[in-house]
Amino acid sequence: MPPRLNLLLTPRVIAYRSKPAVGVWRAQHASKPQPTIRAVRGFADKSTDLPVSEDDKGPNTDPGAPHVSEEASAMAKATGGSGPDLEQGTPVQEVVKDDKEAFDKLPQVMKDSIRAKTANPKPQTRPYSTSAIRRADLVSQEPAESYLQEGTEVSPPPGLRFELPDLPLPSTSNMEHRYDPVVAQVTNLLMRDGKLSVAQRNMALILQHLRTASPPQVSPTRPLLPGAPPPSHLPLNPALYLTLAIDSVAPLLRIRSQRGAAGGGVALQIPVPLGLRQRRRQAMQWILDAASKKQSRGSGRGGFAQKVAEELVSVVEGRSGVWDRRGAVHKLGVSARANLNFGRKR
Amino acid sequence: MPPPTCLRCLPIRPAPSPRSVLLCHIALPPAQTASFSATTNLSAAVAKKRPNSHTGPPKRGVKALNIKKTQRIKSGRPPAPGERKALRKRIVLSNTNALEVQGMPDLSDKNVTDASLVCRVVGIPGLVVDSLRAVEAFKPTQGWGLFRRPAALVRKETLQLGRYIREVETAEDKKTIRRVVVGERGTKDLTIGHTEYGPLFNTNPTQYVQKTYTANLLSQISKANKAVLSKLQLFQQHDLPIPIQSNISLDRLADLGARDPDVAYPIFQALWAELTAPSTKGAVRPPILFTLDGINQIMRNSAYLSTDVKSIHAHDLALVRHFINALSGAQALPNGGIVLAATCESGKPPSSALELAVAQSEARMAGAEEVPQPHPYKAMDQRVLDSMRDVEVLRLKGLDKDEARGIMEYYAASGMLRERVDEGLVAEKWTLAGGGVVGELERGSVRMRI
Repeated sequence: MPPRLNLLLTPRVIAYRSKPAVGVWRAQHASKPQPTIRAVRGFADKSTDLPVSEDDKGPNTDPGAPHVSEEASAMAKATGGSGPDLEQGTPVQEVVKDDKEAFDKLPQVMKDSIRAKTANPKPQTRPYSTSAIRRADLVSQEPAESYLQEGTEVSPPPGLRFELPDLPLPSTSNMEHRYDPVVAQVTNLLMRDGKLSVAQRNMALILQHLRTASPPQVSPTRPLLPGAPPPSHLPLNPALYLTLAIDSVAPLLRIRSQRGAAGGGVALQIPVPLGLRQRRRQAMQWILDAASKKQSRGSGRGGFAQKVAEELVSVVEGRSGVWDRRGAVHKLGVSARANLNFGRKR
Repeated sequence: MPPPTCLRCLPIRPAPSPRSVLLCHIALPPAQTASFSATTNLSAAVAKKRPNSHTGPPKRGVKALNIKKTQRIKSGRPPAPGERKALRKRIVLSNTNALEVQGMPDLSDKNVTDASLVCRVVGIPGLVVDSLRAVEAFKPTQGWGLFRRPAALVRKETLQLGRYIREVETAEDKKTIRRVVVGERGTKDLTIGHTEYGPLFNTNPTQYVQKTYTANLLSQISKANKAVLSKLQLFQQHDLPIPIQSNISLDRLADLGARDPDVAYPIFQALWAELTAPSTKGAVRPPILFTLDGINQIMRNSAYLSTDVKSIHAHDLALVRHFINALSGAQALPNGGIVLAATCESGKPPSSALELAVAQSEARMAGAEEVPQPHPYKAMDQRVLDSMRDVEVLRLKGLDKDEARGIMEYYAASGMLRERVDEGLVAEKWTLAGGGVVGELERGSVRMRI
């Protein structure tokens, strides 16, 4: 097939720009300033012919004005600072500091002495450390008592507006995570009708019961969470006691029923894993159910807290019915493990 | 796709075993012996649809609403009468889980004025604990049951009371010290109308006796002071409704009154007369410590009514009259002693006369020229003002930072406060306790809820 475009026959294209319409405003032409010839140049020359002002007054024009050093000394004396010492002359290094021409005209001995004083360190040795900063070096070495001494004011290191923090930062330093997570969650689960103060009071009573109860006797048939401390440590640390009880008896999964998925109208049991908070919540719900069904032997305000505390102790000792509930859920989950991937798209 | 094995090779028919050949020649039809069938699902019974929330409304006459109260599992015997109250009001003074504080000294008669004990916690000896328990000095709402053994913080005011005891013991002329302790926010039973009361005839104005309360009081006196009263004997003649031994010991006398409420008040009067008799060579009588907690309750009208259906003033109750006589100095204690009254700040009934009396007493102690006067246009209880006329006041303020630090160190040493006790923590807890109020300090540091 011959090419569609025939170069011999196509007319030559002449590139030309159409004249813009009269009304179209072009930014370039409008803003471009016209170059003007000025009588005064806009830059400085090296020549020493400085223009003389009409008033004949300036920084160096007054013959009666004292020298800079004398003036600086007088000013320092007036304001109470320390100024230049007029008894001694200005050192040579200061005079030739910025003046390279003057430095070159100095005698060789003086040049060597100035260079030696401002000598750069050898490239092999550096004043700073290039190895990784150790944690111990970051922690302030000063003892805490020095902060309490009267009259001592510890100023932050230069370049910093505030003091360096004491590392490592405590885990409760974030405002939103300042309380023990298990205790906070359990308090909210105890709450009814939005009465948090009542729930907090009950929580305090539960922890008090755990502290004053005798150390639990753990049953070998109901092992607790691995890594748990010995039972004698638990009463003095009631938050740990509570955490251990809940985390040990918490189920790892829940069973979701999918309607009609097993065929014949029967629901299919699908195990679903639970997160940390979900596990704790489920365990605590079971414990609260069991406690609410108990018969009370005493009376008064601390009754429910007493029952919950007794239930927690029975969980740790392996006597509680909550262990059987957990076992039932796990058993069902194991038998339904084939349905784990039900509904998941490939 | 056609199956890899052809149908002929599938074991539809079981292989003829020698046993089957011998025993039975009946070959079962192939369909019933098949191990695989494609018709099982079709011939199975249809699964019944179980009723769930989506099946629709229930049939007519069927009860669907099932709101039941939580069924409490009733196991074992129900609690015996009085068991619940005993459990509610029980006092626990020891926690075996708490750590024992090493090097804690015990409060004794020798170190009761020791200034080096200020801001330190001292243990209360066992016998004293028994006496305090007998007089109901420990309350169930207090935190005694969290620590290994009962202990108390020594303050400057504690040493002041120790000095009073020393003065009374060593004074040659039998000295009586009468004080009212006023503090930040613990006799209620006497005046709230919960005990039986009856008039004492031949008294003007009519006084009223609470015999059950008196019997209880006598039993407490006997238990708390057994060691002392068992060594003292009856020396005077008393006209009592029941016959008693002439040289009976005073604690057994009190027990007699405790057992029978009807004779409780006469026996109380006899006991009081014995104790306030001047001691002779043969009958040495010790000084008496007479205390009352919550005098706000008795500095006003009681909740009892007379036969004219008028409120009985608390000072017309016989036992209260006894105490007021001792406090005001109308009844002298010939053998010396301390009469101590304490006000209560939380849940107190209003008594403007008491407040005025305390203000007057403090002004007098400070040596001010202008003593607060009663309001000219408001009725003030004159009997209350008269009873407190020359009684000094010991004002207890909140703990200061050193005392707060001392008690928090005790909490930490017992294992109940699991934080480092430094200046920052002490300042924080002290501030949150409203400037060192002890109850709030304990609640904030020991009764954790977080």
